[in-house]
Amino acid sequence: MTDWMMAIAILLPVVSGLLILAIRNYFARGVIVVVTALVLIANSLLFATKGPLTYTPPPGFDWALLITILDYAILITYIIIGFKYRNWLVLIFSATQLIPLLYFEFIMKAHVHPEPAFVVDHLAIVMTLIISIIGSLICVYAIRYMRDHEEHLHLEKSRQSRFLFWLVLFLGAMNALVFANNLHWMYFFWEVTTLCCYMLIAHDKTKIALQNAARALWMNATGGTAFILGIIYLYATQGGSSALSVQNIIGGNVHGAAMLLPVALLCYTGCTKAAQMPFQSWLLGAMVAPTPVSALLHSSTMVKAGVYMVLRFAPAYAGTYLSTAIAVVGAFTFFGASALAISQTTGKRVLAYSTIANLGLIIACAGINTPLSIAAAILLIIFHAISKGLLFLCAGAIEHQIWSREIEDMEGLAAKAPLITLITAAGMLSMFLPPFGMLLAKWVALEAAYRVPLAAILFILASSLTIVFWTKWLGRLLEVVPKLGWPLEKLSPSYSVPLWTLFIAVFVVGIGIGPIYQSFIASATSNVISGLSAIVASNWSDIVLASSGAKAGAAILGAFPVWSLYVVLGIALLLPMLFFGLKPTQLRQVYLCGEQTGGVDTDEWLAEADVKTKFILGGYYFQGTVGEKAFNPWVNTVAILLLAIMIGCGVIVR
Amino acid sequence: MNELTIVIATIVLAPIVGGLLFGIDRRITARLQGRYGPPILQPFYDFFKLLGKESIVVSKMQLVWIYCYLILMIASLLCLILKADFLVLVFLLGFAGVSLVLGGFSTKSPYSHFGANRELLQILAYEPVLLLLAIGIYAKNGTFLISAITSREEPLLFSLWPLFLAVLYVLTIKMRKSPFDIATSHHAHQEIVKGITTEFSGPFLAIYELAEWYEIVLVLGVIVLFWANPLWVGLVIAFAAFLLELVVDNIAARMTARWMVRLSWSIGLILGIVNIAYLYITKGVF
Repeated sequence: MTDWMMAIAILLPVVSGLLILAIRNYFARGVIVVVTALVLIANSLLFATKGPLTYTPPPGFDWALLITILDYAILITYIIIGFKYRNWLVLIFSATQLIPLLYFEFIMKAHVHPEPAFVVDHLAIVMTLIISIIGSLICVYAIRYMRDHEEHLHLEKSRQSRFLFWLVLFLGAMNALVFANNLHWMYFFWEVTTLCCYMLIAHDKTKIALQNAARALWMNATGGTAFILGIIYLYATQGGSSALSVQNIIGGNVHGAAMLLPVALLCYTGCTKAAQMPFQSWLLGAMVAPTPVSALLHSSTMVKAGVYMVLRFAPAYAGTYLSTAIAVVGAFTFFGASALAISQTTGKRVLAYSTIANLGLIIACAGINTPLSIAAAILLIIFHAISKGLLFLCAGAIEHQIWSREIEDMEGLAAKAPLITLITAAGMLSMFLPPFGMLLAKWVALEAAYRVPLAAILFILASSLTIVFWTKWLGRLLEVVPKLGWPLEKLSPSYSVPLWTLFIAVFVVGIGIGPIYQSFIASATSNVISGLSAIVASNWSDIVLASSGAKAGAAILGAFPVWSLYVVLGIALLLPMLFFGLKPTQLRQVYLCGEQTGGVDTDEWLAEADVKTKFILGGYYFQGTVGEKAFNPWVNTVAILLLAIMIGCGVIVR
Repeated sequence: MNELTIVIATIVLAPIVGGLLFGIDRRITARLQGRYGPPILQPFYDFFKLLGKESIVVSKMQLVWIYCYLILMIASLLCLILKADFLVLVFLLGFAGVSLVLGGFSTKSPYSHFGANRELLQILAYEPVLLLLAIGIYAKNGTFLISAITSREEPLLFSLWPLFLAVLYVLTIKMRKSPFDIATSHHAHQEIVKGITTEFSGPFLAIYELAEWYEIVLVLGVIVLFWANPLWVGLVIAFAAFLLELVVDNIAARMTARWMVRLSWSIGLILGIVNIAYLYITKGVF
């Protein structure tokens, strides 16, 4: 049974990917992707029901050798890419990975295979649920999206198969990454995700796509370098196969001063992949790729591997200066990215900055390192995956409605595409307002944040900035002329199924957070730090709006407290939307000092010399204050300093 | 008293108190300006007159958001009265503010948009101060629960007075008084027609007024928390703060939105941060 489950989670995406490459037919390809998606989802649910397990591949086939060979193959691919596009940074940082790896294998002669090779604990189960369910939905969405995309580009030869191959492969690599207990194998899967990411960003082969893909590659390769150096350091100081077992490292079985530096290096690796400042530019550059790539990178894969890494090793640096430094690094990114998001005029870039900001928050929570903050981090990973996956799919659907990514072009979308606007609005509100999960998690994070007051203050500033950029954007969508009856747009099932599934998931997971918390997150948190669920539960019940009586009931996180907030939301928003009826006679034109011309739904007025002019309203972007040009030098400098301090804290013991 | 009674009493009484406060405001302001001023009950007369007017609108979403604004304001006030979590109160208040802004954005009207953008900047100006206050409360009590504030003997004002000063200008922003009557104003010193409320009329403007009444009770209630034991001292402080705002309103000129954000993000934040840093250094973590 376990054999099959592991094989499906890790190898099925590889097999399906190869099949997709071989069969070049739109329909057959669609069927393969949908079947793979369904099997992956079922399999992840099976993991959830069967609970934690460990696994080592049976002897008979030398998986270790295969992985080693592929490891070199990936690094050599990097070098070829570096030569092909004459990118020195890619060359340098693939060399800095290749040379230590050769040293590790041939000079140190390290052929260690800590057992078990894979440990699927609760945290890994939460991750695999996110990867398999949300990632699969995005793959389904990509079937139709890529066809529209290529039609729009008028390609002669279809490259959809290649695209879906890397997309599906990504899921397998991510699953393997979160399951891996062997640090050396984890490193391999880490590199596979980096390679998939490169291939997907570069997919359109435009100059800018290649440039940005190369940037993503070298930035992540610096992380890979830190990873392999960390492995070598661990092996050199500890020796033996147990040195490279993740469970041993976080279980406190690998002790002493020598531990902190490799852990700091691993956290640095996590920060590069999670696009923490100053590495945010690779994730922003990834926006040139087709939207399913962004959706996948931002919600369920890639960046989540980065935060998973930092979270995974949280017990190894608990109570050290390193922990505090990580909290501040993350909190600063949360603040900086939220401020920069205000100045963005492109929808997808706002989403990207918001992702970077929230990843910062997750990393900060890992750094604060109390049971409560770890729970907050896991909640954030879950809710962010759902909401951000949804928002990127919306961004893609909007793009295919209006063929633009600019926020200014989305003006009045509510009248043109009411369904997508509704879903997008729900996605946006779920990112920053009560009672939705993201805010719930933020609230838990603030409960925990006072331990590192600097982080708490940065949280506060960032939260306030978050309100501004979401509201601003949502406001643009709602800007309509007085008119009743908005015709609903038609959506292909490949769009509407993932969109509505995630839309419903926002509410179901949000409302059902009580049971979900008890069955998954509590144990996932205790995988990171043990013996805590009682604390979390008692704090949680504080959210109760009413009544000491209800509080007693909610002492162990019941569903009620969150429910009451959803009831308020229902009364405040849902009821009026459903039951406020308007008659056409109630409509009036907006106030324009009596200078309108035409009917009620006009946006024309008599300008100078009575010339009929359409009036245009623009949004505020504050480029001078928080624009990239004005703000980037400051935040990047501070971020580099903070990262240096973080690694410095790895050298200082306690 | 059981909780349902408290909830109903709050929903009924709060707007009466809020309306009276606005009546007093108009009377005192008139006297300060050498006018006789309207009767104290004038806000209620206005309210019922608005309710009786024909309902005309510019978009459906506008109605949804203004109604949402009212409900969330009430929910936020209930958080205070039921002594729930202070952070949840701030978040709900933030959502209420966002609803109003979205109500302003829900139509293609230039004046409404001006107002909505400015209102958004007002949120940006006061939100961090309220959240800092929450952290300050946590630093004193080790919890965000309001019940822990009301049950402690020593008033918060002694240790959180810098934050109190910062909250005073939040009150100015929330009461829409000069120098911060930027998004919309009670007086005619607006160059953007009626700002964010330009496109609201009749019963929907009445809903907005009602929400403002709840809001003033809520914000003054937050000020009461600084001296919750005995309660009457807190009430006196809150009323004094209210009177202070009226004086400030009449001696200050209206400033720009950017100036407001800069002021809030410099002086307001420094007051809050110094306050929290002091508490952290002297008391440590719970």
